Amino acid sequence: MFLEIKDLSVKIENKNILKSLNLNINKGEVHAIMGPNGSGKSTLANVLAGKEDYEILNGRINFKDNDLFDLNIEERAQEGMFLAFQYPVEIPGVNITPFLHSAVNSKRKRMNEEEIDNLSFAKLLKSKASDLGINIDMLKRSVNTGFSGGEKKRYEILQMSILNPDLAILDETDSGLDIDALKIVTDGVNKLKTKENSFLIITHYQKLLDYIKPDYVHVMVNGSIVKSGGSEIAAEIEKDGFQKFQ
Amino acid sequence: MNIQDKYLKNKKNIFFSENKDIQTHREKLINIFENDGFDKKNNESLKNINLKNFIDFEYRYLISEETSVVNNNQENSYSIVSVNGQCLNFKDDKIEITKILDEDYNDFSKNNTIENNDHFVNLNSLFLNSGFKIVIKKNNNIKIKISNIITDDDLTIFQKNNYICEEGSSLNLIEEYENKNNSTLNILNVIKLEKNSQLNHLLIQDNSLNHSLIITSHSSCKKDSTYTQKVYNFSEGYVRNFHYSELIEANSEADLQGIFFLKDNNTSNNKTFVKHLAEDCKSNQVYKGILNDSSKATYFSNTHVDQVAQKTEGYQLSKGILLSDNASYFSKPELKIYADDVKCSHGSTIGPIDENAIFYLRSRGMSKIAATKILISSFINEELNSIDNEQMSEIIQKKLIRYLSKVK
Ligand SMILES: Nc1ncnc2c1ncn2[C@@H]1O[C@H](COP(=O)(O)OP(=O)(O)OP(=O)(O)O)[C@@H](O)[C@H]1O
Ligand SMILES: [Mg+2]
Repeated sequence: MFLEIKDLSVKIENKNILKSLNLNINKGEVHAIMGPNGSGKSTLANVLAGKEDYEILNGRINFKDNDLFDLNIEERAQEGMFLAFQYPVEIPGVNITPFLHSAVNSKRKRMNEEEIDNLSFAKLLKSKASDLGINIDMLKRSVNTGFSGGEKKRYEILQMSILNPDLAILDETDSGLDIDALKIVTDGVNKLKTKENSFLIITHYQKLLDYIKPDYVHVMVNGSIVKSGGSEIAAEIEKDGFQKFQ
Repeated sequence: MNIQDKYLKNKKNIFFSENKDIQTHREKLINIFENDGFDKKNNESLKNINLKNFIDFEYRYLISEETSVVNNNQENSYSIVSVNGQCLNFKDDKIEITKILDEDYNDFSKNNTIENNDHFVNLNSLFLNSGFKIVIKKNNNIKIKISNIITDDDLTIFQKNNYICEEGSSLNLIEEYENKNNSTLNILNVIKLEKNSQLNHLLIQDNSLNHSLIITSHSSCKKDSTYTQKVYNFSEGYVRNFHYSELIEANSEADLQGIFFLKDNNTSNNKTFVKHLAEDCKSNQVYKGILNDSSKATYFSNTHVDQVAQKTEGYQLSKGILLSDNASYFSKPELKIYADDVKCSHGSTIGPIDENAIFYLRSRGMSKIAATKILISSFINEELNSIDNEQMSEIIQKKLIRYLSKVK
């Protein structure tokens, strides 16, 4: 199994958020999670990425033959996990080029691959940026600082396409994107998609799933997955909301 | 030994002790010390200070065998090595350097209206044993680099320097304080900017653990003049940076900036004070600190706007990153405004490094320590980029890297 989440229960500040959650993802699959506000979708994404504020009450997670809880945040990233944040963090004074370059190289180092030099990296970044319709001037600015909502989301996908992860978690990457940007961003995701990597896509809208075809759709309510199936579930939710799943 | 006895015992060794006016002034100062005659409660020069340590010093001054050097290496560019606070006389058509004179002392003690309750400045006046005066002549554009060398252990240097930038002149002044001995340097820079003159003042402080630096400046700006001061404190020993500025004529500017990098048990006390006494003047007071381990810092910033100082623009900012739970940074901005057409603001943000930013960077594969370092560098990015001297910028970068290498 590529990613196996078994019986996961998580709490934060005395509040149980995830409750006996189970989810399996195989190599090459695209999974979507839909669910009402506050149901715990971002919590799941953060726990997978290794955010330290949560208390794991129960359960285990396997990722590429590792016990995920044995890996710290950066080791998970270096093993091929990527989280596109729902709310990307503004980091004034930090430029994307050196930061992402060093991130790419630490991943390569872990994989015993040769490091990429300054010049080749700058070229790579520029070409990926232009694929995603990101202005070169934006690469000179501080990470996410003063970016519009949509710009931040594109910038997440730019980082994803540079890091080329095995498992990409997209947390509401579609919200805030205008219709053209949605097309560009989903094209970017589809280009990256191979038989070897997997996607976990968190969204509120069926629209995104028209562009990125999921193999499975899961409904998350109150910290657990209450139903799983194919794209038809997304259509159901679009029509009737979450009422009948609660 | 109390202050008075210390003074009487070392009188021969102290500047101007024969001058009547100065004697009178010093008697007043002694009186203040001996009779607790200074305002302790609201005195920022006494906050977070172990006063006893500074009063119980053993006075010792030496004129060194090493001699000071003044080099005019390139056109308009001078390098000065000041030894134990002394500098050789020098004169050409652009600058003049002389020993500090009793009239300079009197000028300061009589005309200092901005703050005369600063304990360490009073000690400086009382035990004055060195100092020089540099005049930049009219309409010249000059660069000066001063290395302040202390030659021996256990010295107590009390130094007063005067800088006078004559009308239309421009001075780029770099001062290095990098001493490795067990001495104390208490230095007061009195800086006068005449009409339409400019002084760009960069101070690099990088002393060892057992060396204490108490540096104070009093600058005053006449019409259309600008004083810019940038302090970089990498010292492992105690440093006190207190910098006072007076904008005495219209359209003048004072910009007082500082960054300090503290670790272990080190302490740094900082203060900036700008007094607006004329209209259309601008001031800027920005201090940033990075504090690791059990280090401590204070920063007082003050803007005082006199009632005639209409159209004043004043800005105060204090920022700090605490890298450890045991580090502490106390900051207090103060604004006193007596004019009505004024734009002033102040802000203060002190706290641990942004955990969300760390998580974001690590989630891309960057190690925790690398993420921490990149965030510290970004915190002072703006200041580092604003240094227009390439050589100095490299020196500061190196010291920053040295500091970061100790961050765990
Ligand atoms: N630090 C925290 N302290 C207390 N409660 C928290 C904290 N973080 C998250 N929660 C709570 O956990 C619940 C789940 O939040 P989460 O962000 O995972 O929801 P979500 O499904 O992503 O919602 P949305 O669709 O609005 O993005 C919410 O009720 C939220 O208030
Ligand atoms: Mg969410």
